Amino acid sequence: MQKLAVTSSPHLRAKASTRSIMLDVCIALIPAGVAGCYWFGLRAALLIALCVGTCVASEWLYQVITKQKVTVGDFSAVVTGLLLAYNLPANAPWWIAVIGSFLAIVLVKQIFGGLGCNFMNPTLAARAILFISWGTIMASYPVASGNFVADAATGATALATINGGSVGNVTILNQFIGNCGGVLGETCKAAILLGGIYLLLRGVISWHIPVSFIATAFICYLIKDGAEIALLQVLSGGMLLGAFFMATDYVTSPVTNAGKIIFGIGCGFFLFVIRAFASYPEGCSFAILFMNVVAPLIDKLCAPKAFGEVKKHG
Amino acid sequence: MADHKKNPMKVFMNGLITENPTFSLMLGMCPTLAITTAAMNGVGMGLATTAVLVCSNLFISLMRNIISDKIRIPAFIVIIASFVTIIDMCMKAYLPDLSASLGMYIPLIVVNCIIFARAEAFAFKNGPVASIADGLGMGLGFTWAITLLSAIRELFGNGTIFGVQIMPAAYQPMAIMTKVPGGFITLGLLLALVAAIRKAIAKHSAGKEAKA
Amino acid sequence: MFQKRLFPGGIHPHKGVNGKAVTGVKPIVDAPAPARVVIPMGQHIGAPAKPVVKKGDLVKVGQLIGEANGFVSANVHASVSGKVAAVQNCVLANGMESVAVVIDNDFQDEWVELTPAEKPEHLNGEQLVEIVRNAGIVGMGGAGFPTAVKLKVDTAKSAPDYLIINGSECEPYLTADHRLMVENPDKIIDGIRIVMLALNIKEAIIGVENNKPDAIEALRAAATENIKVMALPVRYPEGGEKQLVYATTRRKVPTGGLPLAVGCVVVNVGTIFAIDEAVRLGKPLVSRITSVGGLVNEPGNYRVRIGATVEQLLDACGGLQDGAVKLLSGGPMMGAAISRTDIPVTKATSGIIALGKEAVEPEESPCIRCGRCMRACPMNLAPAKIDAAMRMDNYEAAEKVGAMNCIECGCCTFVCPAKRSLTQSCRTAKKVINTRRKQAAAKKEG
Repeated sequence: MQKLAVTSSPHLRAKASTRSIMLDVCIALIPAGVAGCYWFGLRAALLIALCVGTCVASEWLYQVITKQKVTVGDFSAVVTGLLLAYNLPANAPWWIAVIGSFLAIVLVKQIFGGLGCNFMNPTLAARAILFISWGTIMASYPVASGNFVADAATGATALATINGGSVGNVTILNQFIGNCGGVLGETCKAAILLGGIYLLLRGVISWHIPVSFIATAFICYLIKDGAEIALLQVLSGGMLLGAFFMATDYVTSPVTNAGKIIFGIGCGFFLFVIRAFASYPEGCSFAILFMNVVAPLIDKLCAPKAFGEVKKHG
Repeated sequence: MADHKKNPMKVFMNGLITENPTFSLMLGMCPTLAITTAAMNGVGMGLATTAVLVCSNLFISLMRNIISDKIRIPAFIVIIASFVTIIDMCMKAYLPDLSASLGMYIPLIVVNCIIFARAEAFAFKNGPVASIADGLGMGLGFTWAITLLSAIRELFGNGTIFGVQIMPAAYQPMAIMTKVPGGFITLGLLLALVAAIRKAIAKHSAGKEAKA
Repeated sequence: MFQKRLFPGGIHPHKGVNGKAVTGVKPIVDAPAPARVVIPMGQHIGAPAKPVVKKGDLVKVGQLIGEANGFVSANVHASVSGKVAAVQNCVLANGMESVAVVIDNDFQDEWVELTPAEKPEHLNGEQLVEIVRNAGIVGMGGAGFPTAVKLKVDTAKSAPDYLIINGSECEPYLTADHRLMVENPDKIIDGIRIVMLALNIKEAIIGVENNKPDAIEALRAAATENIKVMALPVRYPEGGEKQLVYATTRRKVPTGGLPLAVGCVVVNVGTIFAIDEAVRLGKPLVSRITSVGGLVNEPGNYRVRIGATVEQLLDACGGLQDGAVKLLSGGPMMGAAISRTDIPVTKATSGIIALGKEAVEPEESPCIRCGRCMRACPMNLAPAKIDAAMRMDNYEAAEKVGAMNCIECGCCTFVCPAKRSLTQSCRTAKKVINTRRKQAAAKKEG
């Protein structure tokens, strides 16, 4: 007879694993990447490959050097690489991608203990460092040209126009399909929504953060500038990409549903404050980063009450 | 502390390495983060602090039997502030550029925790020779630590060290390194590095002991 | 997926596992009587019974061989007739040792004289408890808590509002209760009525997961008016006591409390069946229905004599299939893995399940804070937090985040994408905290 294994119960496990979850996120990010390549040319594809490659290589190298178990197989570094690439202008130089990926993986993720221990979203923290360091490069957005052809010209983003409170030549359709300036993965809102819906259906993310995030920002703008601008604001910049893919990062967002709603409201509100009143035209990354830091406090506030618990003592 | 009393060399090395004010006592964080944008600033700030520290340690040590316990803090402040004023004026006279770039942080040495901590923890309890050694050790320990910090920040944030171009001309400076977040990041990384080295040394010596 | 939830958390461990479909249609058959039985004295929660026979004694089926030793304890009876071969230690499924009476079967199947209750409808609470105690009945869902203790209700002071019968059988693979409900609905209903009359309970609810429509139908056909058969959505752990009470009555059992605190008495269908047999026929508990499933050649539901070894039972089912790597006593969610087959079937052995490579312990990775364990927890706990506290040996922190409320259902470990053994951490935390509490109490006294 075979040797019988003895382990503690339960003896069945669900199929979902860290790896399968990360793979789902990668799959959900494909449409936005394809759209980025369509609008900004194949240099976008190169940038994506470079970011993913550097992220995976940095993680592997760091874990080999520090003699840890190599965990690049869990695909979390791939997700970080994809998201970082999506947060770069398509005409960014190669070294921006390499430095950004290295910082995201080594400085923000691994030094704090690797997967599950980082207190900020690696992608966003790296983006913030790049943005502060090389502001002119990070804020020069190429013009969308379509048909996988690159356009050398750069132009203003929709946000620069509508933050002033007027619509100008910005149209909802162009914003929705991605025919506008911006970083390579954020312009095509249709593709982002497609990926977001995929994640929701697969149960990888819940609706709480994206919905409360977007609704809060929308309501704030509704009060300030009216419905049309509010809708355009939602469809501009990185709000959708941030709401579906970056604010929902498990590690840096609260775990309870109530906490997620507070988190989403915070993100939406600070995005509004930064876009409307601060010197940066785009506030998505900083809003999410700020809420990342607050997430542990929100978790403490929203600690679940045991089933049947009547009163909490102390 | 007792065994340091008789050996000024040990006291000096203690401040320089073992109990380095920046990397192990975590004192004087305010200037550490604020002025370490260029290597020269680090040297200037470090030496100014050292000068004040040595003088204040010496005087407090000499007067430790006269100063009443109850009013020792105001007494320390008077002594320290006097030397800070002297140093500040000297720097304004002879090193106006450096003085300008350090700005408020020279007068603020008055409230630098390192000086207070050494006055309270060492000079007030030990003789003048040991106190000078302690002041020198702590001061130079502080100096090399913030010089290292500021050299790194200057290198990445400006491509230079002590104003000398190190990075190739094509290098695009990483502006965040000369801003406040860069200070936090660099300090954090250096602290992690120091902790790692300490751990390795402890492991090494533990292994040696086990063998012996 | 969009079914209404009747309690917080919960999971669907049946997905891709059709163990229930295999044995759910198999009628109960008698397992061949074993040549030798090993009947442990400690089959229940509480003090083990005291053996009252010695080597060489001749015993009949149903004869008392172990006497309840204290309030929370239970009688043990011979399950075969024959000669006592030894009174010695044996190993139980949970790895603990217990004194056991070993009987060589003479295959005469000679029963002791049985004395049915005279007026089953007119028993009072005390008489019922007495019968149940004498018959050695314990909770047959898996925990093995002495039923007499559970039924000891001061009916004069306050009669419970509900008798809740647990027919949910929410563990994958297990179908023993399912078959019992399909084949003996009359006896179950009769047992319920006897308990209701004795304890002065006005209403009974039988909770059955709606993946057993034949059982629901059979019970409904047999039920009298104040006995309600409730079809419950399929969601593990529907059969957890607190979860079942909430699902059927919307009453929340307070933390650290018993269902009686909210006027409910919860009894498993298998236990009710045993009570009925004890009252109507005077039969003590000497056999039980056990599902044998998974990678065995002839899976099915067997009526097994208490004390038959797992090996004998597996032989009766044609043995294990190739590829079986784990053998479980109980269901896959809460059962214990056993490494040997000389372990006896006890009153609480609801199933013997053989699992293949899907049951191999996966390698764990760091927690990614996805929150799945919290959403799955039927007690609304944060298993990941308890686990984190345990990894730092911080039992105070574990207690603070509610480790003591854990029911060890296994939902958190099941869903964890990082494959961490969260349930085991909670279990360890409970054990250590309990030991410390006892030590502290002893210190106070001494």
